[in-house]
Amino acid sequence: MRVLVIEDDAEVAAYILKSLSEAGHIGTHADNGKDGLVMATSDDYDALVVDRMLPGPDGLTIIRTLRASDDHTPALILSALGDVDDRVKGLKAGGDDYLVKPFAAAELMARLEALTRRGGGGATAETELHVADLEMDLLSRTVRRAGQPIELQPREFRLLEYLMRNAGSVVTRTMLLENVWDYHFDPQTNVIDVHISRLRSKIDKPFDDALLHTVRGAGYRLQA
Amino acid sequence: MTRRLPSFVRTTAFRLTLLSAALFALSSFLILAFVYAASAGAALRRTDAVINDELAAVERRYDESGIDGVNRYILQRTVGGSDFLYLLINPNGRLLSGNLNGIPEASVGEGGWLDFVYGRAPADGDVEDRDSRRARARLVEIGDGYSVFIGIDIDDEDRLIGRMLRAILAASALVIALGIASGVVVSRRFSRRLDAINTVARTVKGGDLTRRAPRNGSGDELDELSANFNAMLDRLEELMHRMRNVGDSIAHDLRSPLTRMRNRMEDALREDGDRRSRQAALEQALVDSDELLGVFNAILSISRIEAGERKDSFETFDPSPLVADMGELYEPVCEDTGHSFGMQTEPGFTIRGDKSLVSQAMANMLDNAVKYTPPGGAIQLRLRQCSDGRVEISVTDTGPGIPEADRVRVTQRFVRLEESRNQPGSGLGLSLVKAIADIHGASLDLAEGAGGVDGHGPGLRIALVFPLVEEKA
Repeated sequence: MRVLVIEDDAEVAAYILKSLSEAGHIGTHADNGKDGLVMATSDDYDALVVDRMLPGPDGLTIIRTLRASDDHTPALILSALGDVDDRVKGLKAGGDDYLVKPFAAAELMARLEALTRRGGGGATAETELHVADLEMDLLSRTVRRAGQPIELQPREFRLLEYLMRNAGSVVTRTMLLENVWDYHFDPQTNVIDVHISRLRSKIDKPFDDALLHTVRGAGYRLQA
Repeated sequence: MTRRLPSFVRTTAFRLTLLSAALFALSSFLILAFVYAASAGAALRRTDAVINDELAAVERRYDESGIDGVNRYILQRTVGGSDFLYLLINPNGRLLSGNLNGIPEASVGEGGWLDFVYGRAPADGDVEDRDSRRARARLVEIGDGYSVFIGIDIDDEDRLIGRMLRAILAASALVIALGIASGVVVSRRFSRRLDAINTVARTVKGGDLTRRAPRNGSGDELDELSANFNAMLDRLEELMHRMRNVGDSIAHDLRSPLTRMRNRMEDALREDGDRRSRQAALEQALVDSDELLGVFNAILSISRIEAGERKDSFETFDPSPLVADMGELYEPVCEDTGHSFGMQTEPGFTIRGDKSLVSQAMANMLDNAVKYTPPGGAIQLRLRQCSDGRVEISVTDTGPGIPEADRVRVTQRFVRLEESRNQPGSGLGLSLVKAIADIHGASLDLAEGAGGVDGHGPGLRIALVFPLVEEKA
């Protein structure tokens, strides 16, 4: 995917561009708000990574301007400010996700992939999700694997739904905490790991092939 | 005009005393002036009344026995010396009788009144001798062109009034002088005491936080100022002390992971060849740095919460779904670590605050319980209403608990009881809960838990008690 990185800190920008190219994506860099806005409007990108504080128009202004001109390229806001209020402001301005510096490359990549996926087929209302022999019916809220019904708690259902919607990509613990539980802080204990292992015991354990994989140092991936 | 005045003159106390002295002098002057006007006026009126009475007597004599009677009367009255001054004047202006040499040269006013100065005959040596004495008289025509002049010597009275006036002026001057003198004294005393406080302030500014302003125990406003000033210094010293402690704690808590990380990287560099161990060292360094970032983020969060920025986003809500969600998040964690988990919650209560912060506080309380309760113990999350109507969210565990003496201390930043130093964590969990409690006006109560399990205990009960929500009209 083509990603425009608008970031004035040269080191952070280099780190992001390197991570992008390692993951097989094409990154383009703008080191100030003005150039960034011009590039964002004149070229097509699959996603934007926008630093909040920039020389020239700041990150939120850029996103607001793009949204006003009906450009809905998924945008991820980077910020040194980690408060929930800042997050809310960022999302209100039209940002799709918010990541606080410093961040791990894996986190950024996972979020970008989730964003572009959302921008793609996620808009149409699906009623069924499939990953290998795992099926989820969103209307009757039932899950089956290899034809066998699997009983899930409501939260486990939402957890699996999120993993299935992002099947094939890495999702981080923070992403799960934010999207499945709507918590924007990090509990010190490994709450997510415990929930994942519970889910795993239900959807993987009775079967031969594991679908829910742990990605070391990053998070989890649901994949055949 | 830039000449510097003596220092006490510039003090507020001196100026105030001077002002009050001036006001006092003015008011006493006015009172004395009133007294003067009243007494001098009364004396004058009395003089006039006496003269009029005597005049009436003379006119009566004239009506009874004509001008000769009057002449006789005046002779009789003046023979042995008299308080009155008489003159009887015929139509030609000649003096017929009287004890004055002639009509004094003074302008006659309305009603025949005149004030004048006369020379008293040396014969009247019994009174104070003077060449010229002041007198007041009335010149009236009594009939057939005859005029009578009746006066009274008012020199003594006049001089008495003069003395009174001088006394009044002298007294006013004295009042002003005393006022200034007392101003000097008071302001010196006052500024000496203020100077003492100022000196302490300067010393403290210079870095010596142990100095305190002197108190004289009188409880007056300066004493109170000293007391408040000292209380402020106590608070300042405590804060400085705490800051130093925090600094030490940060150093303590950050030094070990930093040192660990450094050593690991150094080893990785030195060890030749083995890629796998180098990889492991780097991964561990990453874990260490994440831990460090966690500490910094926690410090940042606490500072931001303490700054109170979030108060704008407060809302009134039922906490039961929040509690249920958090219980659901932690139940598997507790079971995974070998604890039994219980939750008690009911809907219908309201609290006012920030949902995300309240959730975070619960998460920290539960984290704490999971971390410190030995496997096999029990952890309970509970939402209830206290008997006084306040809503309480509590977490009770069967861990070692916190000794009563340490309960206040553990909510301070970075305080970790020695026993738990080897446990992972920033030592900021409870400080964050405390900061969240504070911004909500809630109290954070720590008490003994339900009791021990398997020889552990007595457990800890940590409760966030929210203030009553004021019903909006």
